[in-house]
Amino acid sequence: MQKAFGKKRVLLMFLLPAFIIYTGFVVVSIIWAGYYSFFDWSGVGEKLFVGLKNYIDLLTADGVFGSTVWHTLIYTVINVLIQVFGGLLFAILLSRMKKGRVTLQTLYYIPVVISSVAICQIFTKLLSVTPTGIVNQVLSFFDPSLKLMEWISNPNISLYVTAFVEAYKYLGLYMVIFYAALIGVPSELGEAAKIDGANTFQTYWYVKVPYIKPVIIANCLLVLNGSLRSFEFSYLLTHGGPGNASELMTTYMYKQAFSSMRYGYGSAVAIMIVIICLVVGLAFRRLTREGDD
Amino acid sequence: MNRRKYTVGGAVKWVIAILLVLLQVYPFFYVFTSSFKSLDDFRKLPAYALPSALDFTNYITVFTKSHMFTYFKNSIIVLVGVLIPLLLFALMAGFALSKIRFKGRKFLLNYFLLGLMLPMQVALIPLFTIFNKMGLINTYAAIILPQIAFSLSYSIQLFYSFSKFFPEEMLEAAIIDGCTPLGSFFKIVIPMSSNSIITVATMQAVFCWNEYINAYTFTRSTDMKTVTLGLNDYVGSMGLTDWGATFAAITVTVIPVFIFYFLCSKKMLAGLTAGAVKG
Repeated sequence: MQKAFGKKRVLLMFLLPAFIIYTGFVVVSIIWAGYYSFFDWSGVGEKLFVGLKNYIDLLTADGVFGSTVWHTLIYTVINVLIQVFGGLLFAILLSRMKKGRVTLQTLYYIPVVISSVAICQIFTKLLSVTPTGIVNQVLSFFDPSLKLMEWISNPNISLYVTAFVEAYKYLGLYMVIFYAALIGVPSELGEAAKIDGANTFQTYWYVKVPYIKPVIIANCLLVLNGSLRSFEFSYLLTHGGPGNASELMTTYMYKQAFSSMRYGYGSAVAIMIVIICLVVGLAFRRLTREGDD
Repeated sequence: MNRRKYTVGGAVKWVIAILLVLLQVYPFFYVFTSSFKSLDDFRKLPAYALPSALDFTNYITVFTKSHMFTYFKNSIIVLVGVLIPLLLFALMAGFALSKIRFKGRKFLLNYFLLGLMLPMQVALIPLFTIFNKMGLINTYAAIILPQIAFSLSYSIQLFYSFSKFFPEEMLEAAIIDGCTPLGSFFKIVIPMSSNSIITVATMQAVFCWNEYINAYTFTRSTDMKTVTLGLNDYVGSMGLTDWGATFAAITVTVIPVFIFYFLCSKKMLAGLTAGAVKG
């Protein structure tokens, strides 16, 4: 079989279609963005070569870009905390249930399959102030002043609200993955710990959670990648605002290119995003791999 | 004593579980019930109240005053246009990478998996200028092609790990019987991988149906918009005051996903966990 499939012609037939599409649209696009990033260009007309000026402006003169990097990091940390650790806690809860696991699992997963656009629309309504949305209405039972609480248009918390909504959508996904991993822990391990006198908490803390460490790391990486390139929630829910309070790197890039028509500058932001994503992703991989050895 | 502790613990577990369900499901329940509220209900009742009567005005508004049918048609065309080539090419590549031993295999696999870390938005500026030059803006090709490209990495990863368990003897026998490699791929590998194909297909179908930024960037006119875009567009054009129609529009666009999900949830959840836990 290896002989028949290993022929050059056969290999090419299997790998070339995917290779061409992937290279053409993903890899070439990014290299092309790198090329644009050396120009001052509005999308139409002459491209003006400016060398590294876009990058220098980005790193020294542009305070907004710096703040979007900071926002993206905060955003990522919140998402990792809620999605990975919240997901793990809820998965443990689910694995402790005696009945109704399948139903609960199916219901918990619902927000994952709903589009981000719909989720953002729903949260705009839930968190609305005029007319009073459901969240403020319920909160006003406890403290009437909360009836006028601003969520989406409050510069102090809009970033956290956005991060929460994204975490809300994907929480079910990681819960389901962790649940499957916990179910896969050999039952002898748990029983052995019980015999040794461990209580339920200790069984999880010392035996089951360490056993699924590879899954936890894999999920951390998924959330990390997902949050670093998150776009829709900031763009649709808060429009990056108020001001730039919830602007992320990706939304900033998009607005620079497609709203301000600064294609060259936007491309420089794009390249910075690629670099940050690759550095964080690879560093995390290296870090966790070393821990394994 | 022990017995009582057990039931208290059990009750607490159920309370938390049900609170969680409320958190995850209530927003959708709220949207659904609110879509039947009349203008009067919105004015007089508190936000959490149920509608006073079943009022279908909002749905009539959605189907007569907006282009919902066009949006659905476009979404279905894009879905089919993305899924068929994506599944075929990803299965071919994933299968070859996992089953055929050749020089540079590891490198090629890592090359494909690099895409998992690259954000799609970064490709938009070059793609937009190229599509613009080629006159492809506002065509199905512009919506479909980048989506295939950016979904390849994940699909290849899944097919790569699923294909590890593929029995090689079957192919061995087929080759001896005179079947060509490509022939045996179509006659043996595809039928025997139907489980993993369905798994990847259901996941990618949901991603594709919900896709936003690509369609948003590369479409211009109403007649090319997909359901996800149409939803946002429609809400904007109606202004913030027409909540009822907004809720009805959300319901209409979300219901196909719900039906699909409840039919395939077992497959989807199973595939997802297989990919993540074993991968």
